[in-house]
Amino acid sequence: MDTLKLLSAFLKVNIQMSLAYRADTVVNILLNIMWLGWELLSLSIIFNNTETIGGWGFGELIALLGVFRLVHTLMIALIWPNTEKFNQSIRDGSMDYTLLQPINSMFLVTFSRINIWRVWDLVLATVLILVGINITGDTITPLHLLTFILLTISGAIVIYSLWIVLIALTFWFTKFDNNVTILQALLDAGRYPVTVYPVWLRIIVTFIIPVAVATTVPLQALRGDLNISRILMFLAIGIASFLFASRVWKAGLKRYSGASS
Amino acid sequence: MFKIFQRFWQVNWAEQWQYRANLLMYLLYWLVSPIIYLAVWTSIANTKGNVNGFTANDFITYYMTLLIVDQITSNIVIHTFAYKIQDGTLSGELIRPVHPMLTNALVNNIAFKGLTIMGLTPIWIILFFLFRPDFSNVALSGILLAIPAMIMGFFIGFLLSAAITALAFWTTRVYSIHEFYYALILLFSGQFVPLTLMPKLIQDIAQFLPFQLLIYFPIQLILGKLSSAQILQGYVMGVIWLVVSIAIFDWIWHHGVKRFSAVGA
Repeated sequence: MDTLKLLSAFLKVNIQMSLAYRADTVVNILLNIMWLGWELLSLSIIFNNTETIGGWGFGELIALLGVFRLVHTLMIALIWPNTEKFNQSIRDGSMDYTLLQPINSMFLVTFSRINIWRVWDLVLATVLILVGINITGDTITPLHLLTFILLTISGAIVIYSLWIVLIALTFWFTKFDNNVTILQALLDAGRYPVTVYPVWLRIIVTFIIPVAVATTVPLQALRGDLNISRILMFLAIGIASFLFASRVWKAGLKRYSGASS
Repeated sequence: MFKIFQRFWQVNWAEQWQYRANLLMYLLYWLVSPIIYLAVWTSIANTKGNVNGFTANDFITYYMTLLIVDQITSNIVIHTFAYKIQDGTLSGELIRPVHPMLTNALVNNIAFKGLTIMGLTPIWIILFFLFRPDFSNVALSGILLAIPAMIMGFFIGFLLSAAITALAFWTTRVYSIHEFYYALILLFSGQFVPLTLMPKLIQDIAQFLPFQLLIYFPIQLILGKLSSAQILQGYVMGVIWLVVSIAIFDWIWHHGVKRFSAVGA
């Protein structure tokens, strides 16, 4: 209950913060539409020259773009602003105050900053997913839809957990303030189905920085490409990665000794 | 004058060297999208035999060359300079008797380039063995012709970016303007795909814009895909755009500095 109350307080503060920069918000939304235009143009150029890539058609790629944008929003709206604040708090020691709060520090560190106008991106992403499915003309069974939603959530949890691990590493290596760049760098690989990539790249984006688990995999579920054991495995990976990340976070906290002492 | 540049080089090289870990991360970040495009297009070419005459090897050589050309002709001036205008630290540089953009910032960019190319070399060799491009069509004459084209491309790109950076004298939203500029580069430079595969309209416009001089023109020179008439046309466009970008930068800078009143002064 406390967590929910806190989350709504964070939302309120962040809405107020973004209202102070209204013109910037408008500019950002315009740029966002521009990039969407570019993404659609680049897909149409690709499909002018071929009917499928990696066995996927145009509609499926549009839907994949939608799922990719969900993860991208997670990155832009939550991961970047909070990481910036976290790195700063490790450098100047203000992490002390965060730890003194009577609330889960992992929650506090990862949710206090939210780039609120990006919520619109979630709407856009949903529209892309629906339009994409519509173009493919496939009939979606409720079961496929359910697994798609579950795997999208569990994929997002995998990315979230990886983020926790990356920033927790800062407790051991204080100078590691590039902690999420590697995640951001490989995120772009989520725009296309991993089946088009050479094996070594597929291994990186599936197992090391598992961007594909949050982008390609949910869509495979929607297409009905995954059997039940695969689905259960990916859901288990989601839960396991979250438990692992909490462990790493707790171990990291023990290493924290403040900046001034 | 030479001594001034030498000093700036020492300072900037040392500064960039200090941030070598960041630099490696930047390099990784920048590498990913060309490699993704490479993978996407080769996979299409492999299933269809060729894409509009482009074979898988054509795509591999194109993007492998792009990695080098883009690293040489691109710049980071917006990230290293705009904040100086915004927070007022530029005033210290303005009282020096040398141009802050054309000495310090320029040398800083070249030092950055030197280091990233050092970092790129081993990565490029690894990619070479992963993708096994066939460069047998590349001739020495093409590479020699591409070197002045790349230097010209770098200066055109640097001056245009510097002009956009100098818009920070007027507006705080200079990063948004630069984002828009970057989208133009993606669209018209050949970064996403060889320009001949772009829609006809974009190709026609791209011919007259400076962006293809940064990427597409040098790559085609190196790969030996251009006729002598096309090479001549490219160089003429290059010289014209070099003059135009000098004029644009000079005008914006000149008027911008007059508006500049340092924060806190």
